[in-house]
Amino acid sequence: MHSSKAAALRRQRFDQYVGVYHQDMYRYAAWLSRDKAIAEDVVQEALLRAWKSLDALRDENLAKQWLLTIVRRENARYFERKRLETVDIDNLTASQAALLAVEDDKELDDMRQAIYELDDDYREPLVLQVLMGFSTNEIAEQMGLKQGAVLTRLHRARAKLAEKME
Amino acid sequence: MMMNCDQYREAIAADPSFDGGAGHLSECSSCQAYRKEMLELNQRISRALALDVPELDVPELPAIETDNVVTLPTRKLSSPVWIAMAATVVLAAFVGFRMIGGGVEYPTLADELLAHIDHEHASLVVTNVAVSDERLTSVVPGDIARLDHSAGLITYAQSCVIGGHSVPHLVIQGEHGPVTILLMPDEMVSGPQRITGESVNGVILPVGDGSIAIFGEREESLDRIGKKVLDSVTWST
Repeated sequence: MHSSKAAALRRQRFDQYVGVYHQDMYRYAAWLSRDKAIAEDVVQEALLRAWKSLDALRDENLAKQWLLTIVRRENARYFERKRLETVDIDNLTASQAALLAVEDDKELDDMRQAIYELDDDYREPLVLQVLMGFSTNEIAEQMGLKQGAVLTRLHRARAKLAEKME
Repeated sequence: MMMNCDQYREAIAADPSFDGGAGHLSECSSCQAYRKEMLELNQRISRALALDVPELDVPELPAIETDNVVTLPTRKLSSPVWIAMAATVVLAAFVGFRMIGGGVEYPTLADELLAHIDHEHASLVVTNVAVSDERLTSVVPGDIARLDHSAGLITYAQSCVIGGHSVPHLVIQGEHGPVTILLMPDEMVSGPQRITGESVNGVILPVGDGSIAIFGEREESLDRIGKKVLDSVTWST
């Protein structure tokens, strides 16, 4: 195949995936990093990496999972590079606070804050299940956990949220 | 056996779409109320998680050499023609197609390995959490190989089927990301085989009557990792 045509098809394929999954990538990055600006950086890096390794994706049905895995790895790399301190909920930066900004909706604001305060171990499977529609098996695969551990974390995450929202 | 209240509530709290336990649910008004509560909570969680997303800003994408990249197959089991075998040593080790369980055909061992890594791409996670010794022992049993920990931090271990044989699939953390290692005591190759491409950086090394495959990020030094892995593995057979 002529290389310019192959390149155009490659770009077309990339744009299709990004168009469909960009929102998921950003939201996943945002809830992993708990910071709007970091999420945007992570997604940029993830898009670059996805572009470079697009040919490794051989099954289109796995595109979403593949892209979210890249986001997860880029987020880990980001924090590895920056060695960021644990987020102090009482001293949020403007970018962290921006993630939680909600207008005139106290219930939504409270829930977002409660999710924000969950430990990473609880927040991530919840995001994957509720927002991304992953099954517990898929979450286990994505996070390298056993399914039982995922179920326990999800159960505890909801219990903590229910308690905070009382 | 019919679920009790604790079991039902644990299941519904872990996954509000859980539709088991109908027998218990039909007789327990308290759990009916709990289920309703969990479904409502889930809706509120869902709403809260749905952050506003900024406008898509695609970074400047570098040109990718596509001479060796033909249109990509849509199914992972199709022939991966995009692989450019950089062939410092090219081996005609396999003539015809390799068959594995389920009748799936791969032209070469490299094709099968790449398809397998695609299938288990979730193993490629940057982490500092090592797999347990128990897990490692069950995946790399003593009758296959002896393995010490000098190759690197092992963060994934799974028994997988390659060429019809169960083989240990490990992931260690390299300098540029996760590195996949497949220990294949039954896959003989007659010399080192480099596998490179747009997004592929791998090598299959002959070891005794078998071989070890190593795949990493493009920037990863597989020579250095290969040496460490070879030093850390001894076949038992």
